[in-house]
Amino acid sequence: MTLAELLSTGLLGLGAAFFLTGTVGLLRFPSTFARLHALTKADNLGLGCVALGLALQADSGWVAAKLALVWGLALVAATASAHLLARCILRERGGTRRTPP
Amino acid sequence: MGLAFDLLLAGGLLGLALQVVASRGLFRSVVLFIALGLLMALAWARLAAPDLALAEAAIGAGLTGALLLSAYRALQPAEEAADPGPAALPRWGALAAAVLSGALVAALGWAALGLEAPAASAGREALARLGESGVKSPLTGVLLGFRAIDTLAEVVVLLVAFLGARVVAEPLQRAGPGPSAPGSGEPVLTAPLLRLVVPMGVIVAGYLLWSGGHQPGGAFQAGAVLAALGVLLRLTGRLQPAAATSPAERLALVGGIVLFSAIGLAGAGTASAVLAYPEAWAYPLILAIETGLAVAIALPLTLLFSGSAGLRWRER
Amino acid sequence: MSHRGYAVETLNLAVAAFLLLNLLAGLGRVHRGPGAADRMLAALLFGTTTVAVLLLLAEAMALPALRDVALLLVLLAAILAVAFTRIPRRPDGAGR
Repeated sequence: MTLAELLSTGLLGLGAAFFLTGTVGLLRFPSTFARLHALTKADNLGLGCVALGLALQADSGWVAAKLALVWGLALVAATASAHLLARCILRERGGTRRTPP
Repeated sequence: MGLAFDLLLAGGLLGLALQVVASRGLFRSVVLFIALGLLMALAWARLAAPDLALAEAAIGAGLTGALLLSAYRALQPAEEAADPGPAALPRWGALAAAVLSGALVAALGWAALGLEAPAASAGREALARLGESGVKSPLTGVLLGFRAIDTLAEVVVLLVAFLGARVVAEPLQRAGPGPSAPGSGEPVLTAPLLRLVVPMGVIVAGYLLWSGGHQPGGAFQAGAVLAALGVLLRLTGRLQPAAATSPAERLALVGGIVLFSAIGLAGAGTASAVLAYPEAWAYPLILAIETGLAVAIALPLTLLFSGSAGLRWRER
Repeated sequence: MSHRGYAVETLNLAVAAFLLLNLLAGLGRVHRGPGAADRMLAALLFGTTTVAVLLLLAEAMALPALRDVALLLVLLAAILAVAFTRIPRRPDGAGR
């Protein structure tokens, strides 16, 4: 096994562990907001580790660039989704309104 | 390991499909159906059919989910007023229906197992003569070369479906995603999200259109991506519903079909048959048709989601 | 891939299978709820997991087009959340 393969294996394992953490959080955390934390953070770290691990296996720089693009877009989507959902839940529970800018 | 993955995927798909129809509560079924779409994309991936996985991802993630959520929104007041649940079927009736359907599936499966594989299939023939179609991707070659008539008819069906929806949509006051909740401003992150996702989506649609010639992709996938972007813009209020279809929209709705038909008819003179392309021009003609078709697929889908005759841009 | 060891391919598939198992376990949250938002959260998790599985399959099956599928999924992932926020809330916040 070369060093790159070893690193890649480690990163994939770490990614899988992060995904497991996210799932456990989703199932076990007591409140919706806590679950939101578990998901949007653990998952995207997991995806990042998996993408990095696969980039080490990749043949060309283009493949690695595409993996980076996928991860970057996933971060943007997760940020926006988490924000929209959190705001939605807050309103639903009659929470505070953001002061107008 | 591949077998373990496939068994897990197949079991998950079946279980999920059962849960979608059997679970109580409309919203739960909607979310389960979204998950089913994701697993379907994985199934197509495992079957080495990336074209279908692309279409499933674009339609499942971008269109069906949003469509079901907005249909749920429209159904919500009705559900609150009176929730009779699904029409009650007597137990023996349900049992009889289940046994009969099970027997039918078993009989069909038995018959299918007994069939002999044909020695020469149309698929192999098409693959062997792919060079004649002018493109390198087998799927595009079949869709726009060997079976162009089917593709043309499919796009016409989409247009007819849109026209049909327009005929019955008038009395449906609740069509489309409806107005935004009053009194609450737009979430802060919506505008930056759109500024990033919309241009990226247009680039990806163009990439899929271009890649359709030599690798998985093509007009249907590109059209589905553009339609998903239209849905996103409609949901965030950038596109507002309009009562009338503008001339530009009419042109986009029929343009792809007219272009396809015109090139197809010209094929009778310039090439050997109707819907055949002159050999030297096959690739550019197919690309031009695909571009027109992508627009002719995206616009009716967006308008169907919007539940309106037209869309107008509104700057915020 | 020819030059790469069989072991790496198996590893990629094994990680993919593990992630799929995670996804199926997450279905429990869709059933338990309790609110619509909790169910929606699970759907978001499924989206990210599917993207990771597609990336792993692209490498394991040597099908680069599957990376485009993953790209498409992350690009359109936010649409669901946007569509969800357009559902009017009930005062008691009860989802189904």
